[in-house]
Amino acid sequence: MEGDLARRIAEAAPRIDAEAEADLYRRLAPRVRLYGRRHLRDDEEAYDLMQHVMIATIEKLRAGEVREPERVVSFVFGMCRMVTMEMRRGDRRRDELLEKYGADLEIADIAIAPRLDEARVAACLERLAERERTVLILSFYEDEPAERVGVTLGLSAGNVRVIRHRAIEHLRDCVMGKGGP
Amino acid sequence: MSHADRATLVAYWLGELDESQEAAIEEHYLGCAECSAQLAEVEALADGVRRAFAGGLIRAVVTPRFVEQLRSRGLRLREYRVPCPGSVNCSVAPEVDVLLSRLQVPLEGVERIDLIVGDRRFEDVAFDAASGEVVVAPSIAYIRTMPAYRNVMRLVAVEAGGERVLGEYTFHHSPHS
Repeated sequence: MEGDLARRIAEAAPRIDAEAEADLYRRLAPRVRLYGRRHLRDDEEAYDLMQHVMIATIEKLRAGEVREPERVVSFVFGMCRMVTMEMRRGDRRRDELLEKYGADLEIADIAIAPRLDEARVAACLERLAERERTVLILSFYEDEPAERVGVTLGLSAGNVRVIRHRAIEHLRDCVMGKGGP
Repeated sequence: MSHADRATLVAYWLGELDESQEAAIEEHYLGCAECSAQLAEVEALADGVRRAFAGGLIRAVVTPRFVEQLRSRGLRLREYRVPCPGSVNCSVAPEVDVLLSRLQVPLEGVERIDLIVGDRRFEDVAFDAASGEVVVAPSIAYIRTMPAYRNVMRLVAVEAGGERVLGEYTFHHSPHS
């Protein structure tokens, strides 16, 4: 589906297929933001990365510079890696690109999942076993891998993963409604 | 690659996968509505846990190393280090971010500890045996609503032959004036 949209954008040039561009943006932008959040661990930087990657991708499609538009996901993946590296180096060229092309593109509204209500999450955390709650806090407060959490608790990484998995399932069921408070 | 299960997505989110596994998952979810939705759910749960703790909405037993992480992030901590047995007068100023009860306790040979607060029992709490303490982060949001009161915490070692009290700690709380 993303490939079809990319092909439509490429084939429409020099005309602009605004509908295909908006649809492609709507589909891919939230995923790119997740990539950014995972690598940059910062909401604003993740949003910057999303905008930059999507604008650059659509611009390259319009210019016929994406060799295989049907493989646009691979292209976006490559862009994500490159822009992340640039952002880590503090490269400012991306800002220039945003200024240059950002205004030309009609950015579609994207559906970013709303934040969970922390009071509800807190009520659900209260229902977990003690160790499950501790492992989730130690894991997610600073996004710590099981090895590091295990060292601080005197547990093996495997043990932490088992507790963490169980805890997430319980928390998810509670927060998402199954057996919620 | 086929769809990723939730445990793998959590491992990815926390940076536990090697480079090639990570790249495979990323190229997959960038093109997959189902996996990216699941990953967004992992992100939302992680964010919810972080905000619930940061907002002082939950009580949790943590570790000394975690306390140092909080300190290094610049959070304002109010720590009460209580000897075993012992008592302290305590209060929470408005600027405090995290309240910590650091219960000093001999932990040699202890395998399981239950924490008893009033008439509630919290089984098998986390501890680092080498640290010689159990660190409780009470819900600061709840404590702030409380009038002057006395709170007793007990640590109990649960062993094959039964239980033994490790320590009793009394907190005389007064509202911040």
